[in-house]
Amino acid sequence: MAAHLICLTSGGGVPIFTRNKGNLKPLPFPVIGSLNGVHMFANSHDVKLLSTTTEDAKVVWKVFHDSITLIIVTGDDSADDIHLNNLLSQVCDAMVLLYGLEDLANIKNIERFKREIKICSQLIDKILDQADLLTVGDLTNAVDIIAAPENSVLQNYLDAFTEAADSPYGCLMVHGKIAIATKRWWTLTSKEMVLLSLLMSSLSPCSSRDIPVFLPNLSPSVPHRLLTFQLIKDVDVCVLCGPSPTLAQLEEEVGRFWRSGYDLLRSLLQLHPRNYPLSITLDSNIMGFILVNRESHRCLCSTHPHPVASSKDTIDSKRRLEILRSFYKHVMGTFFPMSDDPDKGQEEICHQAQESYISTDSHKCYTILSEPHQIFVLYTANIPTFAMRSVTQKTLSLLVKDKHIQI
Amino acid sequence: MLSVGSLLDFDWHKHSESREAFSSVTHRHHHRLKTFGLLEKPANVSPYSPEEVRYKLFVVGKTGVGKTSTVAKLTGNEIPKTHNETAGIQTSTTYWPGKITQLNKQVMFRLQFWDAGETSLKKFDHIIPACTERVDGILFIFSIVDKSSFDDLHQQISRFTSTNDDIVKIAIATKCDQHAHCEVTQRDIRDFENNWKIPILKIQNIQESSQPDFSELSRLLNIICEYLWYRDLILAGKVTKGGAVVGRRPQPPVPTVEKYV
Ligand SMILES: Nc1nc2c(ncn2[C@@H]2O[C@H](COP(=O)(O)OP(=O)(O)OP(=O)(O)O)[C@@H](O)[C@H]2O)c(=O)[nH]1
Ligand SMILES: [Mg+2]
Repeated sequence: MAAHLICLTSGGGVPIFTRNKGNLKPLPFPVIGSLNGVHMFANSHDVKLLSTTTEDAKVVWKVFHDSITLIIVTGDDSADDIHLNNLLSQVCDAMVLLYGLEDLANIKNIERFKREIKICSQLIDKILDQADLLTVGDLTNAVDIIAAPENSVLQNYLDAFTEAADSPYGCLMVHGKIAIATKRWWTLTSKEMVLLSLLMSSLSPCSSRDIPVFLPNLSPSVPHRLLTFQLIKDVDVCVLCGPSPTLAQLEEEVGRFWRSGYDLLRSLLQLHPRNYPLSITLDSNIMGFILVNRESHRCLCSTHPHPVASSKDTIDSKRRLEILRSFYKHVMGTFFPMSDDPDKGQEEICHQAQESYISTDSHKCYTILSEPHQIFVLYTANIPTFAMRSVTQKTLSLLVKDKHIQI
Repeated sequence: MLSVGSLLDFDWHKHSESREAFSSVTHRHHHRLKTFGLLEKPANVSPYSPEEVRYKLFVVGKTGVGKTSTVAKLTGNEIPKTHNETAGIQTSTTYWPGKITQLNKQVMFRLQFWDAGETSLKKFDHIIPACTERVDGILFIFSIVDKSSFDDLHQQISRFTSTNDDIVKIAIATKCDQHAHCEVTQRDIRDFENNWKIPILKIQNIQESSQPDFSELSRLLNIICEYLWYRDLILAGKVTKGGAVVGRRPQPPVPTVEKYV
């Protein structure tokens, strides 16, 4: 996604940082000034400026914690503003996560703040870099999972390890997707889970980490420590701890608790990027899907539904994800309510759609809402439009009923 | 200071007898280091495995000098293209086979680099103790295109070490590919080395094209390992500080017994 993100102080309009994604030249300073100026002007007349569209772009403003204003300028995809608002909230939560609410809401020394808030740049870029993401949690507000048959056995390993860490919060992550988590991890709010997963995928691989994090909902002012250990390449175990144990202490335990699970971890990793069990065979016209559970805040996404690439695969996996994301944005907030957004009550959407689809020359998409699940399926253009409904229903029930898919 | 090559065979990677050891830690054709998860180790082809010795190294220096990049280079990870301040502590591991010349013995060095960003270091009390606890060596990083980062070393050295501790101290000059903007002179470097008895190594953290310079990497790792091994010898009482093996200027021998009880 090509976008400009601007962060300023709400009080004085002092620019804090800008991020430019998608090979865009930075916006000239006067433009930034005017964008902020018009928002402040409206504000001083008791008008809340939310968003505007130009011929080809959209601008959204949002103030957070009475302290910072975020402005995003991006191409207009005619989707509801809810998605960009969601993105801005995520950016702000990312700042809380790594910097703490206290210091964010009460900026004392602007120069120092400017310097120190850079700690969030990598995570913010990851959130803006939607085209490069392999996951969709940022969009669905539900955390991505990888549903491997090995998960049920690995759960015991994880529970034992987190107990050794003296913490109730632990999860096992593969490329930013949760394979398994402790019961308490699932009680984190969806935005916390999504953010922690995004944080993990934003960081470059290493053996272990000890990162102070402020959980935006659970503990925005008192930091926890996120300890992570790379068990094998691309598989990390994460725990949220208090002051103890130290990183070195817990790292010493890694071998003892996980060594015998080595082969399980290897085969878990094999399931990336398919993300769901090989035992499930989906309709050959399916190129990808996103399955969301709105209650448990988990989602499963795959753009590699068939083990062997067939000659029909004219659309590569990156493009598939792009289409699914844009289909999601196209229907959510317009035809279907985004339930967990406080800014937009359900009453704004007057009709209660259950299903929706689009059909193009190169592909078709179909979505079904069946509380608490919602599925978005991407098909090749070959599938007859009338068949999509039943295939989508069948796919949904196949996935939801599978014992390995804990969604 | 230790003279280069006095304990370790610096050309060992060129010998055929080391082929097995090196193929277990590098990707065969492009000579890049392999990375290992905590449950993984270099595969042993031969029936007996070399002794593994583990060291903890703390990487310090001003923000943006290239700590994370240096660690990435020394561990075979991808070197970051842009500066992103490291949040909290990040550790990375390298396995490096070495040969102790005197003993004609192979050793597998396992170096764990502890890298922490300045903001976290200042803001959270537990970071520095975690990094300095039982540390074997400290790498002081500065950038040759930023004189202030070089001047800052004095403060860093007194902050994290004392003259009579037994921590290996090595300084590393980054961005040596940018000679044109060099702000630290050869003379500065010489004076520093003489003053502190801390060697300065030079590094270029750049994404290498098709043929990475393996000799630069192996020299750096060998030097680091050699100092660590030397320290072990001193601690084991096999040589005295400034002993005959090495061209090191005599320093008062300092008993550090209290530290180990
Ligand atoms: N040309 C060149 N650039 C380098 C070299 N070393 C580091 N850099 C660049 O310098 C910038 C900062 O590097 P980092 O490794 O992130 O610096 P750091 O010391 O870890 O910074 P903090 O985490 O903030 O303390 C990055 O853009 C690197 O690409 C080098 O040897 N040559
Ligand atoms: Mg760093």
